[in-house]
Amino acid sequence: MKNYLVVTSGILALSLAACAQQDPTSNAEDADNLLVDDWQQVSELAAGQKVNIYMWGGSENINRYLDEWVAPRLKEDHNVELNRVPMSDSQDIINQLLDEKSAAKTAGSMDIIWINGENFKTAKDNDLLWQEFSGQLPNFNDYVDQNAPDIASDFGEPVEGLEAPWGKAQFVFVHDKNKSENPPKSMEELAQWVEANPGQFTYPALPDFTGSAFVRHVLYETTGGYEQYQKPAADIDDLATQLEPMWDYLNALEPYLWREGETYPESLVKQDQLFATGEIGMTMSYDPILAASEVLKGRFPESTRTFVLDAGTLANTHFLSIPFNSSAKAGAMVAINEMMSPEAQTAKLSPENWGNLTALDLDKLSAEQQQAMNDVELGAATLSLDELEEHQIPELSADYIEIIEKGWMENVAKE
Amino acid sequence: MWQKNKPYLLLLPAISVIVLLFFGGLFDGLLKSFGYFPAIGETRFTLTAYTALLRSSEFWESLELTLRVAMLSSLLAAILGAGIAISLFMLNKSANSGGTQIWHRLFQLPLTIPHLVGGYIIVLLFMQSGFISRIFANLGMIDAITEFPVLVNDSFGWGIILTYAWKEAPFVSLLIYPVLSRIHRSWRDVARVFGASNWNFIREIVLPVILPAWTIATFIVFVFTFSAFEVPFLIGVTYPTVLPVYSYQLYTSGTLADRPEALAVNIVLAVLTVLLGLVVYYFSKRWNVLKGWD
Repeated sequence: MKNYLVVTSGILALSLAACAQQDPTSNAEDADNLLVDDWQQVSELAAGQKVNIYMWGGSENINRYLDEWVAPRLKEDHNVELNRVPMSDSQDIINQLLDEKSAAKTAGSMDIIWINGENFKTAKDNDLLWQEFSGQLPNFNDYVDQNAPDIASDFGEPVEGLEAPWGKAQFVFVHDKNKSENPPKSMEELAQWVEANPGQFTYPALPDFTGSAFVRHVLYETTGGYEQYQKPAADIDDLATQLEPMWDYLNALEPYLWREGETYPESLVKQDQLFATGEIGMTMSYDPILAASEVLKGRFPESTRTFVLDAGTLANTHFLSIPFNSSAKAGAMVAINEMMSPEAQTAKLSPENWGNLTALDLDKLSAEQQQAMNDVELGAATLSLDELEEHQIPELSADYIEIIEKGWMENVAKE
Repeated sequence: MWQKNKPYLLLLPAISVIVLLFFGGLFDGLLKSFGYFPAIGETRFTLTAYTALLRSSEFWESLELTLRVAMLSSLLAAILGAGIAISLFMLNKSANSGGTQIWHRLFQLPLTIPHLVGGYIIVLLFMQSGFISRIFANLGMIDAITEFPVLVNDSFGWGIILTYAWKEAPFVSLLIYPVLSRIHRSWRDVARVFGASNWNFIREIVLPVILPAWTIATFIVFVFTFSAFEVPFLIGVTYPTVLPVYSYQLYTSGTLADRPEALAVNIVLAVLTVLLGLVVYYFSKRWNVLKGWD
């Protein structure tokens, strides 16, 4: 009995000690070398490392692409093991990093994180990210247009090499062409459509990422365009008054929404479910090819189509980054570089895998690589890449998002 | 010495983990709710978060909803649970067959389902375009799925209440049943001799016997539903939400400045839960629930 006690206490002590143990590969000296070594040395260091990628896990397609396309190739070609850790919201990633930082944890479990512009600003302001690594990646140097505004900054925040572009997204509306033949082309037409089809439209409750993006379109169209919001929120005098038309529009819409606007779907997943079962006639996505892959899976009806607004829809680049306390920085660099390769990006474009636009500059690819990209069948539900391109408008700076999300609760949900 | 302290020493590993992780987290939350947050350079102690909270109408509406949902859920679960337990007990006493075992298992089934899954099942079954609504529409009982009554994501919270009632009733019956099974068979015979019907027997003997355990079980359900998150998140409405969801919304709204307020909500929840726990403890002491009654 006594022995048993000693053993259990011993195990406990050991496991607690293990939590606090330092990982020898993560000391600062090695990490700094990674930023100046040539790529060959980085690859050698990476071999045999296990890399944890923390990312939003709400999409089956994305998860499958990572687990079945990216991970096996990384293992095969570079002997890097990729382990995907699903998170319900990228904010949780930042929360965890903050906690690790306050606990002075230098050997963290996250090696790669997939965050959005709003989180990037928080992470950058609080020094949660490692250093300027993207310039070290061969695929970044070879295939990316580094001066393009949507690569050089993320939601108005200068990237400065702290993250590497992984793909591009553009907001589209999703509808069933049997239910609405001529989809609305502006927010004004949308309001008419909603009034004519009560109960057929809704949007996910903010702070849901997609719901929040929908409201930003309303902001642009009801308050006179996007140009004025390219500067920080603090520079606009009397912002509250300027936002009034947006709240008025949303409140005027409310009685005609699904369930009379008494409640909103708590997530895009729920909203897509409502669309799939035919309870509503329209949904939305920040991913222009996602609807096509939902049709492929048989979740959305064959008659599903997407559309954009005449004044354009929001487009942005999404990035991968390495946290300050990653225990496998070399492995993380190799994995991110691999995810930016033309082959991985082409596979990512296909609705069968994920259906996400590439972050690479097509002009920098070889003729065969361009051909491979253009040959990807995007599905009947997807707009042509040209049409998407012509209707892109930039995101606004991240500090507005917080104001809008708080204001929505106050001015719309509560009313 | 060793003999005397042995049980405590054996419990030590488990207790240290609980103290470290649970109370550690709680203490950290308490510090942050007072605005102490070194990671963003805040090292002063203030009550700002609490005053802001008590002044906001969201908090009070949320508290009202939380109390309403928890009370109705626990009452419904209590009535259902007692009903199940007494029915099983009467069934056992009148018939000596293996059939009662099946009934037992059947009623315990909801215990094995996690709350999150239970909540989602309810959504899939009862939303207007859900399984049941479609069956009705196909049978021609309703013309369109929109005629199906709104049972989930309703502003009163019926969806949440019904989910909890269904989930917690077996738990209540599980706590009551052992007490019931101590009722001697002879008592029933004696009651019969004195001309008591089944109903008299239940009212005069069964109910008084189970009352202590029943009250405690209901309190436990109340405290649980008071601070649970997943079912209201799935089945509730956008506004108002119950306190745990409200705290989550504050916590994930993207700004670190809201953190203290989000954690203040949690601390308020924890304090209320502890107070309720003390009430339960007081009653259980008074009624000697934990002692046998031979």
